[in-house]
Amino acid sequence: MDVTADANPRFDLSSALSLVKSIYSLVIVLVLWEAVAQLGLIHYYFLPPLSDIIMRFVELTLNGQMLYNAYLTLMRAMVGLAIASVFGVLVGVLSAQNDLVDWFFDPIIKIGYPVPIISLIPVFMLWFGIGDISKIIMVAVGTFWPVAINARDSTRQVETKLLWSAKMMGTSDRRLLWRVVMPAAMPGILTGFQIAMPLSLIITFVFEMVAGGGGLGALEIAGVRSFESTQVYAAIIAIMLIGIALDRLLRMARGRLLHWT
Amino acid sequence: MGYATSRHIEGLPAPLQRVAGALVDWIPLAIVVVLWDLISGAVVATAILPAPGTVAGKIVELFVTGQVFSHLYISLFRVVVGLGLSIIAGILLGIGMARSDPVENFFDVFLAMTYPIPKTALVPLAILWLGVGTSTAILIVFLACLLPIVLNSYNAAGNVDQNLIWSAEMMGTEGRDVLLKVIFPATIPEILTGIRQAVPIAFVALVSAELIASNQGMGYLILTSGQIGNYPRMFANIVVISAVAFVAVRLFEEVRERWLVWT
Repeated sequence: MDVTADANPRFDLSSALSLVKSIYSLVIVLVLWEAVAQLGLIHYYFLPPLSDIIMRFVELTLNGQMLYNAYLTLMRAMVGLAIASVFGVLVGVLSAQNDLVDWFFDPIIKIGYPVPIISLIPVFMLWFGIGDISKIIMVAVGTFWPVAINARDSTRQVETKLLWSAKMMGTSDRRLLWRVVMPAAMPGILTGFQIAMPLSLIITFVFEMVAGGGGLGALEIAGVRSFESTQVYAAIIAIMLIGIALDRLLRMARGRLLHWT
Repeated sequence: MGYATSRHIEGLPAPLQRVAGALVDWIPLAIVVVLWDLISGAVVATAILPAPGTVAGKIVELFVTGQVFSHLYISLFRVVVGLGLSIIAGILLGIGMARSDPVENFFDVFLAMTYPIPKTALVPLAILWLGVGTSTAILIVFLACLLPIVLNSYNAAGNVDQNLIWSAEMMGTEGRDVLLKVIFPATIPEILTGIRQAVPIAFVALVSAELIASNQGMGYLILTSGQIGNYPRMFANIVVISAVAFVAVRLFEEVRERWLVWT
């Protein structure tokens, strides 16, 4: 909250000016968009007027389609990400703590991480079908790598001085892990989540576009197939809102969890 | 050599250490391949999981018969053009925004709005505009790679040591020359970091676009191999595109190390 606003309720010219500066270009582009589309300078199919898209967005939201598809997409992405987080942090922390685990997983991570994970979608369709389970497993496998790598690297970088001091004061191994290692590695682990989250959405969207089964990706492709471009744009607006919301949420969580840094 | 193995073979003489280290490092992969071979046919039908030997044979066949080349070329072309365009636009935009307030005021809001959109969600929009094919794939690769390059060059150009700029100005360098001869060279390491981040993203974007909106390229080949039930070919093509992505990243890192001698 802006504290100065309370002390000085007068219209704040400079902050209004900076707001104008920061969004004027967006307003110009949106107005141009509406004008060009309304005047018919660009074919309706390529660029429908903004107002039509917003109407379509409202319509899809009111009849529940948008919310249902958004729910499907988010459910798949988040459940997959949650599974990947559990396994990723587990494997990452264990690799950093245990030489045998590290020896086993290091080459697998080296080979597995650069695979363009999207190319495995046909494989998952073959193995697990095209339903929710298949999509969730795909997201889990795809997001496992950044979570595991960041967890491993940040655990490895925990200062040995911290470990020594805790051990000297008689901390048991388990308490050492939960009270010292995990909190010290937490910023790195959260960075892994921040990389994994957009990836989870990418995998879900592409899977939905290729295999259908509802979700915002499928909604977009349905729009393309039925030549309803407003539906494509409306779905992208929803995706943008979800992306912004998730980004904010993760930043907030980071601030909350890492308030001591 | 892996972090773990290096500590267990310290007793050996140096040249042996390296060989032994490399061998020990890659044993886990051999275990995985052996497991794969055992599972395929015994636990899981070979149709669902072809044996590693079958897939390896298929890879050889793809290259010997030359079937893979036309698709591989078109995929590489899309990646190179898309990434190349995003490097040019990204550097211009990043440095422009960092060094000029009007440019920053104009583009900032667009970056803030498009940053949280996963770029592969824009594939259907690209189909609307450009149809199914090469230009759609290039557009998606371009959009996906643009942000990491813009962000890295923006941060770097904003943090150029002011002393460097003052010294150059004092010696008579002006306007555009400061930009070209001082600021741009100073931001090259970060720009390369941005490109390094963009390379794997480029391959993800490429395969996404090719799976959804293409009738050529590796992604298309993988999808259709799966659809007609030629699973060994599907796995073989996945291995090929993964290897290409891996080599691209390694190659870039190698070049960067050689070239960035002054940092």
